Amino acid sequence: MAEAREIVLGGAADHDLTKLAEYEAVGGYTQLARARAMEPAAVIDAVLASNLRGRGGAFFQTGRKWSFIPKPDQNPNPHYLVVNADESEPGSFKDNEILQRVPHRFIEGCLITAHAVESQHVFIYVRGEYLEAYEIVVAALEELRERPELRGDVTIVVHRGAGAYICGEETALIESLEGKRGQPRSKPPFPAISGLYASPTVVNNVETMATIPPIFQLGPEEYAKLGVENSAGTRVVSLSGHVERGGNYEIEQGVTIRELIYDLAGGVPGGRKLKAVIPGGSSTVVLTGDEIDVSYDFDSLLQLKTAMGSAGVIVMDERVCMVQLGIRVSEFYEHESCGKCTPCREGTRWMTQILRKLEAGEASARELDLLLSVCDRINGKCLCPLGETAATAVASYVAKFRDEYVAHLDGGCPFGDDSPLDHVMAPVAQHHHSPAAVEVPVG
Amino acid sequence: MSAQPELVTVTIDDRSVQVPKGTGLVETAAAAGIEIPVFCYEPRLGAAVGACRMCLCEVEGMPPKPQAACTLTAQDGMVVKTAQTSPMAAEAQEATLEFILVNHPLDCPVCDKGGECPLQDLTFRYGPGSSRMQFPKRTFEKPIPISPAISLDRERCILCYRCTRFSEGVSEDGQLVAENRGSQTLITTFEDEPYTGAFTGNVTELCPVGALLPTQSRFLIRPWELQAVPSVCGMCPVGCNVSVETREGKVRRIHSRNHPEVDEGWLCDKGRFVYSHIYARDRIVDPMQRAHRRGFGAVSWDEALDEAERLIRAAGTRIVTALSGSETIEQAFALAQLLRRGVGAHSAVLPEEFDESLAAYRLPLSAIADAQAVVVLGDEPVVERAPIVDLWIRQARRNGARILDAADKLDGLDRIVLIDSGDGGERIGRLAAKLGLAGKDGSGAFYLPETANGRGVVDAWAAASDDEPVDPEPIGLLIVSGDEAAANPDVRALAEHAEAVLAITMFQGVVVGWADLVLPGTSYLERDGTYVNLEGRLQRLRRSVIPPAPDELAWISKLAERFGVGISPHPAVVFEELSAKCYGGISYADIGEQARLPARSGVTAPSTTARKAKADNSGGLRLVRYRPLFSGPAVERVPEIQFQRPAAEVELSAKDARKLGIANGDEVVVGSNGSSRELRARLSRTLRPGTVRIAEEHAEGLQPQVEVSKSNA
Repeated sequence: MAEAREIVLGGAADHDLTKLAEYEAVGGYTQLARARAMEPAAVIDAVLASNLRGRGGAFFQTGRKWSFIPKPDQNPNPHYLVVNADESEPGSFKDNEILQRVPHRFIEGCLITAHAVESQHVFIYVRGEYLEAYEIVVAALEELRERPELRGDVTIVVHRGAGAYICGEETALIESLEGKRGQPRSKPPFPAISGLYASPTVVNNVETMATIPPIFQLGPEEYAKLGVENSAGTRVVSLSGHVERGGNYEIEQGVTIRELIYDLAGGVPGGRKLKAVIPGGSSTVVLTGDEIDVSYDFDSLLQLKTAMGSAGVIVMDERVCMVQLGIRVSEFYEHESCGKCTPCREGTRWMTQILRKLEAGEASARELDLLLSVCDRINGKCLCPLGETAATAVASYVAKFRDEYVAHLDGGCPFGDDSPLDHVMAPVAQHHHSPAAVEVPVG
Repeated sequence: MSAQPELVTVTIDDRSVQVPKGTGLVETAAAAGIEIPVFCYEPRLGAAVGACRMCLCEVEGMPPKPQAACTLTAQDGMVVKTAQTSPMAAEAQEATLEFILVNHPLDCPVCDKGGECPLQDLTFRYGPGSSRMQFPKRTFEKPIPISPAISLDRERCILCYRCTRFSEGVSEDGQLVAENRGSQTLITTFEDEPYTGAFTGNVTELCPVGALLPTQSRFLIRPWELQAVPSVCGMCPVGCNVSVETREGKVRRIHSRNHPEVDEGWLCDKGRFVYSHIYARDRIVDPMQRAHRRGFGAVSWDEALDEAERLIRAAGTRIVTALSGSETIEQAFALAQLLRRGVGAHSAVLPEEFDESLAAYRLPLSAIADAQAVVVLGDEPVVERAPIVDLWIRQARRNGARILDAADKLDGLDRIVLIDSGDGGERIGRLAAKLGLAGKDGSGAFYLPETANGRGVVDAWAAASDDEPVDPEPIGLLIVSGDEAAANPDVRALAEHAEAVLAITMFQGVVVGWADLVLPGTSYLERDGTYVNLEGRLQRLRRSVIPPAPDELAWISKLAERFGVGISPHPAVVFEELSAKCYGGISYADIGEQARLPARSGVTAPSTTARKAKADNSGGLRLVRYRPLFSGPAVERVPEIQFQRPAAEVELSAKDARKLGIANGDEVVVGSNGSSRELRARLSRTLRPGTVRIAEEHAEGLQPQVEVSKSNA
């Protein structure tokens, strides 16, 4: 029987860790003092030893990313730490809960990171819709304002996004932060060399930051023992869709998806049959109900050609129409495409058009092939991953549920209006598992 | 100068090519004779953005997916495969074209860009033969006039962002922006205001499709029917190299002909759009004479030349000639020879003063971009006098140069460029000598003259005779050469005291009522000849269209015969004679289509003519009147650019405004004893305290010292 293992969210169930006093009572900010007593290079080495990988979705080794930042004598420009709190991936809502429940742990992580990369400037880019999280973080920073010994010489700026998914892509986030239109930059140069204001910049995810203090508390080697090889430590997983108890669960990596759904989230409501699981947020390749005995870690999911992404596990039962799912995902990416590069801008719109025709029962077999061809022509040609993931995700629905797509060719959708997608890829009332989770009305 | 760049070897489609390290991959391929097709890539707009994905190639050693070649630079040992040899790149290229065409209207038959359209050409070469798109295409309202001069077709737009990048990163006005997101992205102007400024027309040339088109020629041209004449713009002293494009004997548009040292391929809107003044309704096509009872009417050329001869003989040495600075040097030299050698009439009102000592600090304009410091002196905005120089200064600032308004804080800097719009260049001549710029690479000085060829006209007038002029009293005959001179109030004042006036102008409106004899003038688009630009570069004008009347050189030569002065009607011949006197004997043919800058001359002492200080220190603010870029007889005759004319504004320094309690946008009264004007206040960050600036056309009647106060209304 799989169980939660709370490190990032540790203590939040028994204490109000949004308060500085309570966070300090459970040992908060002591790791910051320890890290500051170390040389920056030693902090980076410790994080390398923990084998922490970025929790935003790309799974890049955090310590390595930090080590790319030039030393001040190599680049005289200021160094920046930018925290990506623009969590917008359908199916992911973990960062929201981290910001709301353990803001000080998150800030402590930011301050340790700032020390490691020798930065005095931290920018936290918060998703615009995350008003509560924003207010909680700002309140926590207000408390810190009175504590110069904790703050040190670091300035922290909290910036609210304006509602664009693409601004979760690190270079688009930087453009947006600079006051420009949120569109990705061509890489290289990478942000570590030329990021915010053309200066060396580390961009890290919220959960990555909130994991830093526990790494120092446990010791990097101890932390590395958690989880499985290559996927060390815990992850806060967002479970949503057709499960009894949706919400965020922090687990050691290596728990199977079946355990996540049935042990932690209470299984599929009404005893209905599990049809499909999207394991890492809307941008990842779908798994069928038969593929869920896979361990929830990077390598195991890679073998199934999918990914943990931003750890949004979306569960769908037998009533779900995979064409309707395709439309929902394709519409989302069409709407969120920034419009900079051609394949994404034009291709996602075309995909939606074809999928709608399929759902209406007006498409021919040739158009099903066309859909796959369009996906193929987007994939690998785009400036950033947005368009590419839209194409691979939708193509995976066709590949794994081809019979269902073919069934649509002849007379339209077999599910008609009885395919409930309203709990899929939307943080809805069912995510009430945790006390602070955000409530978004259905409808 | 800098050391030889390191050469690297790159293999493209199995061809090996050597280029300097860091050369763009698109240029590297071109050096190997291989095309990497592009839409969004345009190095003049700054760093590559990799947006359109047309340039996708396969690069060995990089991730196994197509790479945007435009964002890569040549590295030693690089192996690149374009669509010619890589199936992966070919598929990617075809995919990009298919996606671009999915929502493109394919209205090539009625599109002005058809025939010179990169999208059309690349589709022809690499695109799919048929469309797989069967859904309704995206539609937008169209055409949108983003200004009276430019129309926007959003359906044709392929969102390469060249135009918005130009507006943001070259002209730095930020007016053109993208709105919305994804497939609904559209190009628009900020807040839907008209796209104004000196450089807007460049986007019509940058646009790789027919989305941004000049309204002047919309639906009037087929590119393959245009004949392009390589010439030089005659509207300001920069002398941008242009391609004057004609159809059926009429000028239909003007494009840039990139001279990398002069204009880098940019044009101002005056140079681009003003051409239609030659078709103005009041264009003079026949000589006109004032006669008793019959009034002002057309006469034959024989009658006109008889009358001109009579007027010149009658006045003899009591002739004063007012020149415009828009004459070719050949034309000015011919006129000078006729009058100075023919009848000994040496007196002239010259368009410019020019300090010859500046020739020791000569530089190409492009050197501004590489300067460490640019010192801009003078009260007139650079953009109003020599617009392209403003772009070079902006580029210098982007490259890290300091832009200063005084020649201090220059210690330790190597490349210093001085720019001045005041007093004939004497001030910067002295300054350049003091700073010792003559011996410094990359340092130099530019005086910005007021007229396109004023420098050359001054040279030509001086070359015709060594005799000193004596100001005649009274003036027997005032010869007014050109519309700019005719529009000059000082010249009009002289005419009041002249016994007779002979004008050579293009437009009736300028001279009717005060000239006795008018001979038709021609435009810079209609003449062969030579201009000297503000750098001192001799550049050739080529006749692009036949003028409606014989050009000046033709009839001056005929008239000169009557005075026993031999002048060739051929500019080449006149030039040879003039060149021997002024320009080191360079031949007409040597100037070529892309003229070189003559070498620096030796250092000479700057002229020491003490100029009188104009300020009378009677209190109040010093008025700076400037001649706006969008003004003058030609501009007044082009309806499409009227919106660019200066607003009725007075510019104030922030400091003075605060003192006077005036805010930006306030209605104010500007007055000097007796006369006043109501204008809108605009605060300027660059204007010196103690001065106000008003465009000439809004400063009529004002004295050099003015008072400014908030309007009571």
